[in-house]
Amino acid sequence: MTRADRMLLAVAAALVMVLYGVLWQPGPGREAHILSAAGKPLQLDLDQARTVTIPGRLGPSVVEIDHGRARFVASPCTGKLCIRAGWQQRAGAVAACLPNGVSLSIGGGDRRFDAINF
Amino acid sequence: MSAALRRASIVPVCAALLLTACTAPPKVHSRSFLAFGTLVEVTVAGVEAEQAEAAIAAVEREFQYMHRSWHPWEAGALARVNELLATGEWFSVAPSVRPMIVEAGRLAEASGQRFNPAIGALVKLWGFHQDERPAGPPPAAEAIAELVAAQPRMSDLELDGIRLRSRNPAVVLDFGGFAKGYGIDRTVELLRRLGVENAIVNTGGDLRAIGSRGDRPWRIGVRDPRGEGVLASLETEGDTSVFTSGDYERYFDHDGERYHHILDPATGQPARGLVSVTVLAADGATADAAATALFVAGPESWPRVARDLGLARVMVVGADGSVHLTPGMARQVQIEDSTRAVMVEPLP
Repeated sequence: MTRADRMLLAVAAALVMVLYGVLWQPGPGREAHILSAAGKPLQLDLDQARTVTIPGRLGPSVVEIDHGRARFVASPCTGKLCIRAGWQQRAGAVAACLPNGVSLSIGGGDRRFDAINF
Repeated sequence: MSAALRRASIVPVCAALLLTACTAPPKVHSRSFLAFGTLVEVTVAGVEAEQAEAAIAAVEREFQYMHRSWHPWEAGALARVNELLATGEWFSVAPSVRPMIVEAGRLAEASGQRFNPAIGALVKLWGFHQDERPAGPPPAAEAIAELVAAQPRMSDLELDGIRLRSRNPAVVLDFGGFAKGYGIDRTVELLRRLGVENAIVNTGGDLRAIGSRGDRPWRIGVRDPRGEGVLASLETEGDTSVFTSGDYERYFDHDGERYHHILDPATGQPARGLVSVTVLAADGATADAAATALFVAGPESWPRVARDLGLARVMVVGADGSVHLTPGMARQVQIEDSTRAVMVEPLP
């Protein structure tokens, strides 16, 4: 193997590593999945900006979708943990209002993880 | 290209051809539903869609049944058991509750009472028995002290076959730090009976994974307890339950102070000193109870309690954000946040 061959192999190996790092990141999700204990499940395109009102056990929860992400913006619960969770955009991300029985999860894109523990 | 390079290139070319032959994606089916007071996600691999959906539907029904049976404050088997325990008389315990009492009693003893599901009255006093606690101050110190002084323990229970009684009227069972893990174990048994050998059952972030995702292990991310990203990642090895107890899960703020839901049975107050504890164990019941027990044990005592519980894989996040790993956990987990101080601590 000549010196040029070795350099070529080294460059190829480096390229593979760079491509792995660039391309194997978790992709952004494509859909928002909304479950409600008081209504039908919804699947919404994250590319279409909108605000949806979801009926829950305590009252309506409001979810906003904008620029490929989604979040709770209003909820009848007192803790507001669902709102504090902020924007969700990675596939597999979840925010939920358990008192109101409404959950928001992001699906569709490549998932780096099969499940998230917290 | 030299002959050596041509020879060297044979290996990756063959590997690529082999990979091409193996690129059929594994069949993976997933569905979420609200049950057990949380969002449950069941992911199944290696079976056809129809079988997967039937299995997931069976798991959903099982969770609904367990919720009705084991909720300490809604009409059901456990609520009835609590009513009868308060009488001090012998009674026939519901079959759905008896094995939980036995297993929880064993874990309470092994944890030195840091995990103590007999403190239901204390949980109720703090208001953490509800999905959402109404705003207001923490309970009065005298009321807390009274319940702590009564020392309700699982060892106050006497079991004789299916008959049960309590020697201590202060015992009120609340399996909040245990039911998820125990319930996940039951649903995993159910999945296996239905022919599913590869799955994840995830109840609100605590999960058990069995088998694999076809061509690779299941990949689990552990969320940063103080941020939005992933603190650590791991690949499962066979049966793996991953449970985390943290001060961020359920809490309320009053007069600038935060009160979370993991109560120290010895003080009656929220346990202080740690941000989160993540435990890996084969079964969910052990992982669930252990995560609670180690959180209560705090920064000084958690390694000893982990040893007493027979745990090898533990990750603890301290109040300063530092990450502490047992050697077993260090071998399996990868810390994703390179800015964190990470320490590997052998168990005593």
